[in-house]
Amino acid sequence: MKSIGIVQPDSEPQETPMNRLATLAALALTPAALAAQTVEIETYAGPVSVPQAPEKVVVLDIAAIDSLSALGVSIDAVPQFTPPAYLADVFASAQPVGSLFEPDFEAIASLGPSLIVAGGRSQAQVEPLSQIAPTVDMTIWEDVVGQGRARLEAYGKLFAREGKAAELVGELDAAVEGAKAAAEGKGDALILLVNGGKISAYGDDSRFGWLHSTLGLPEAYPDLTAETHGEAVSFEFVAEVNPDWILVIDRGAAIGQEGEAASAVLDTPLIAGTTAGQNGQIVYLESARLYIAGGGINSMLGTIGEVTEALEGAAASN
Amino acid sequence: MKPVTLWLAAGLILAALICASVLIGAASLFSGDVDGGLLIAVSRLPRTLAALLAGAGLALAGVVVQMAVQNRLVEPGLVGTPEAAMLGLLAVTLIAPGASMMVKMSVAAAAALVGTLCFMALARHVPRRDPVLLPLVGLIYGGILGAAALWVAWTTDLVQYLGTWMSGEFSGVLAGRYELLWIVAVLAPLLYLAADRITLLGLGEDAARSLGLNYRQTLLAGLLLVAIITAAVVVTVGAIPFVGLVVPNIISRLRGDNLRRNLPLTAWLGASAVLACDILGRLIRWPYEIPAGTIFAVFGAGVFLWLLNAAPRRAHA
Repeated sequence: MKSIGIVQPDSEPQETPMNRLATLAALALTPAALAAQTVEIETYAGPVSVPQAPEKVVVLDIAAIDSLSALGVSIDAVPQFTPPAYLADVFASAQPVGSLFEPDFEAIASLGPSLIVAGGRSQAQVEPLSQIAPTVDMTIWEDVVGQGRARLEAYGKLFAREGKAAELVGELDAAVEGAKAAAEGKGDALILLVNGGKISAYGDDSRFGWLHSTLGLPEAYPDLTAETHGEAVSFEFVAEVNPDWILVIDRGAAIGQEGEAASAVLDTPLIAGTTAGQNGQIVYLESARLYIAGGGINSMLGTIGEVTEALEGAAASN
Repeated sequence: MKPVTLWLAAGLILAALICASVLIGAASLFSGDVDGGLLIAVSRLPRTLAALLAGAGLALAGVVVQMAVQNRLVEPGLVGTPEAAMLGLLAVTLIAPGASMMVKMSVAAAAALVGTLCFMALARHVPRRDPVLLPLVGLIYGGILGAAALWVAWTTDLVQYLGTWMSGEFSGVLAGRYELLWIVAVLAPLLYLAADRITLLGLGEDAARSLGLNYRQTLLAGLLLVAIITAAVVVTVGAIPFVGLVVPNIISRLRGDNLRRNLPLTAWLGASAVLACDILGRLIRWPYEIPAGTIFAVFGAGVFLWLLNAAPRRAHA
């Protein structure tokens, strides 16, 4: 049972010079890269040249699937994965090729893709994948909204859909501005991840930190340290911090029962006694979207919309 | 040490730990915005009791398993009970995610019971001449159940969910969410009544039978106790490894194998050790938490290694 600990779906991305060299080398050696017209795009590993408007595309990152489908790019193969509901159609029409962590290399190779998009949970596979076809590492990590926007623009350039990309970027910027305006004077917030009866808190430098930093929602407990997986906290901690808002991410809701289980876990006098609890300012975010496709354009627009709507519904508290 | 002195010392240590546990936590009892009385009633007291009950229960379950299989290097986790409980929890999470905590707990306890009964059915066919064989079978059996749980969790994106049951901690304990653990308080006196029979179990089937013990019935009853206690702990706070292994061994090294005399002390040491680990886990990274199971594994493993190498001091065997 110990081995479960290794299977964390969000291991730290490693950007090594070797990685980058291997990707570049593979790109240079691939005949397709020489034949087709190439375009230079920004990736997690830096700028790389890839063939423009590739025909057959394998995408092994959920955020990338989100953004590419928003651009109207047709995706030929995806990982075997239970997608967030809004991506179900995309997944249904593409061929599954192994898991995020262990792609089915044979299936991918026999597809003969002209481009593979990987990153995030599949980042460790970028190097082996680049032996099959040009592979770009489109990991979104430190600055979710900033990198999410950059990836979207890169995809726009790559698939010659710059217009649509610019439109979506404009929508994103407007949504962020709207959220910032809504957050003005509405108090502070605490991000809580609920997982099987236990809770952990996430700070502004965590994977969900952009909800604080980009949307201008102050942290209720500014000392929360950088922790990818959050800090395990007790219900007492939440009561003591007494946030004005609680943003809830339900880890268990990946199976479709949004919010139900998390609200049962948070149903305690200690949570109810906080300002958030008393003012009905506990916001259950659609977790599959935020947790699994974080950084995808639809994921970001959807989450920002949820937060903005909740904030706008409340009177200024202080 | 005289019994009076011993029990006085034990009582004092326990009282000190309980006081510390009630006073220490992420929220401030006296100066904060949180009502101190509410805090104690909803969070501190339940948490303290949960640690005591879980610790005592796991230690007692460890004694029974060690006697039942006549092997000091096993613990309840080796008969597949925690894994079976996890399977039950997974099933109820998938079928009725909105079910109340109490329903989930009950389903998991039932599954653990079924899992342990299957192990006992399996154990019937295991030759008893080599005492290592049974724990090995249990290890494989638990491994198969664990693999099944992992597979279910993997295909349904619940791997991290499963993880919360594998690391025993008390951060999620509140009034209304640990009460299943009172089962331990109900079962412990029963175990005490049956202590002499359980001691006989430890002599092996032939010796026990020749002394007039209904071997199979006693074994069944003992393992049922183990199943219920382990399931209650897994579903309420998660698996805490080592407790059932380390605590009975420490007591037995120091005081021999007279169960009726040792059971209260075993329960005390289990309870105190787990509570102490929980208090430490609350303090080390205050106001965040480190699982009590993790702390216990660190200290428990150290103590156990020392014990294995230290010379036994059996005053009364």
